[in-house]
Amino acid sequence: MNLFQIEVYKTFSRWRTYIAFGFLALIVILTEVVMKLSAREILERMMRSMQKDFLIFGNVLNGWFITAFIMNSLHLHIPFLITLVAGDIVSSEATSGTVRLLLVRPPSRSAVITAKYLATLFYTAAVVIFLGIMCIMLGLILFGSGDLIMNYATQFRIVFIPETEIPLRMFLAFTAAIWSMAVVASIAFLFSTLAENSIGPIIGTMAVVIVFFVIGNFPFDFFRALTPYLFTTHMNIWQRFLDTPIPWRQIMVSAAILALHCIVLFAIALIVYRRKDIKS
Amino acid sequence: MKREHPSGAGTKTGTHRRMKQETVLRTSGLGKRFGARWAARDINLEVHRGDVFCFLGPNGAGKSTTIRMILTLLLPTTGSIEIFGKDLHAERSDVLSRVCGIVEKPDFYLYLTAYKNLEIFGSLTRRISSDEIMEALDIVGLKSRAFDKVKTFSHGMKQRLGIAQALLTTPEMIILDEPTAGLDPQGMKEVRELITMLSQEKGMTVFLSTHLLSEVELVATRMAVINHGEMIAQGSVAELLEQEQAEYSLRVSPLKTAVKLMNGLSWVVLRPDEKGATRVRIDSGRASELIRFLVMHDIEVFSFYPHRTLEDFFLKITEGISEI
Repeated sequence: MNLFQIEVYKTFSRWRTYIAFGFLALIVILTEVVMKLSAREILERMMRSMQKDFLIFGNVLNGWFITAFIMNSLHLHIPFLITLVAGDIVSSEATSGTVRLLLVRPPSRSAVITAKYLATLFYTAAVVIFLGIMCIMLGLILFGSGDLIMNYATQFRIVFIPETEIPLRMFLAFTAAIWSMAVVASIAFLFSTLAENSIGPIIGTMAVVIVFFVIGNFPFDFFRALTPYLFTTHMNIWQRFLDTPIPWRQIMVSAAILALHCIVLFAIALIVYRRKDIKS
Repeated sequence: MKREHPSGAGTKTGTHRRMKQETVLRTSGLGKRFGARWAARDINLEVHRGDVFCFLGPNGAGKSTTIRMILTLLLPTTGSIEIFGKDLHAERSDVLSRVCGIVEKPDFYLYLTAYKNLEIFGSLTRRISSDEIMEALDIVGLKSRAFDKVKTFSHGMKQRLGIAQALLTTPEMIILDEPTAGLDPQGMKEVRELITMLSQEKGMTVFLSTHLLSEVELVATRMAVINHGEMIAQGSVAELLEQEQAEYSLRVSPLKTAVKLMNGLSWVVLRPDEKGATRVRIDSGRASELIRFLVMHDIEVFSFYPHRTLEDFFLKITEGISEI
């Protein structure tokens, strides 16, 4: 086994890793079943505003719409699930004392920390992909397929995406969601290299996410100037793939800012870990 | 404040006598400072191939700090470390592939089996086969527990698993920090036997720290003593003790005549013993001379044995340092 395989194996051998999967499975099943039972009511509420201006027919409340709805509701909650593993992956070695065996072997600290970071990103991707598969599969089974209607209420417009385009759009949207969650994972990972317990990194990461969201929404000029550079501003990058036309320029800018966050956070973690005295 | 061992059996003499021996570990001026406090300072160790080298000192003396620097867990503030003639920090990976270290207690992934733990830690050094893992577990008596999770293991079993992990990578040198700490007498005996086996059967150099004098007496060939972060003596156990005054318990008849005779010897210090015997403090090298002297004066010598010589030695040099 190489270092990356070892880290992935360790991650997926612990029950806490499956909390995120279990929670997501539960929430998706509950949401979709409840929506199925209340389909008529939801549909009426959806149509109430749109039917004034549009003539809409066909299977509007379909699996794709449900997927977009759940993603929209959950993309602020998934970070917490990501931190359960990302905030623990380095610090737990200190807590359990295994760091003393791990770091006296030939692989360098840089190699160890890089493998851990890649395993963290792998887990992050697995969580988002799992959510996507759960939403889409169950959605299509319970609600069937159809065109996707996205209501951008704040911009006073709705977008229709033909059924044939949706699978590719969803694939891109979930890939972008992984991208934005990678920043959250990177924050938790950095805190994990600084801490010797898992609670600190989890709470710290959530505090950073909340504070950045708050800053991004403050109606002051100083904060408004900062907003374009905050990762929280770009966390909804996935939604842009469900727009028409796809705003590629905005997506590229968001992707670059998110990538820059990841690179800087990992670089700091690497420097910290290489110089860290293992006293535990 | 550092002191050369007064006997000359310490650093200098010991080193000269062993010039031809290969030095596998050498530290020069090694030191570690945490804030304003030096946890270890000017540590100059020399471990030869095949040694069972004990690093002796009371709790908090700086043993673990030194070992952590040797195993790259702590970055030294001063000095350098050479292992197998190579600079540790320049050739870390190569050096550590030939060394196995266990700092304090060996902590494993509790949620994994013993087998999987060995596979993981072994594969960090080289490709390990299933047979090798089972063989290592067999040597330490854990083969039947190979597929049990480590969280079900006792402290002693984890310590043995740590040694299995060391065996697996077939290192040339094994570094153990307080390997018997927290073990019951049976566990301590088992670990000592494993250490002896590693040295005698596997030909490994063993470097271990301890605060237990009895451990040094039982397993060590060479030793260094550290106190308050500073090294105060180094050499072979025999050499260091040979030059020290030691206390012996003496059972002779007639006792009064023997005491009278020994009172006339300037190099013997007598201490009464309430159990009908007497205790004498003499240079270790003059033990046979004293026995010969007593026999020549028609004194019957029933028993003559040393009293915790290493403990005397240790207390003497550490007290000496405290006074300085």
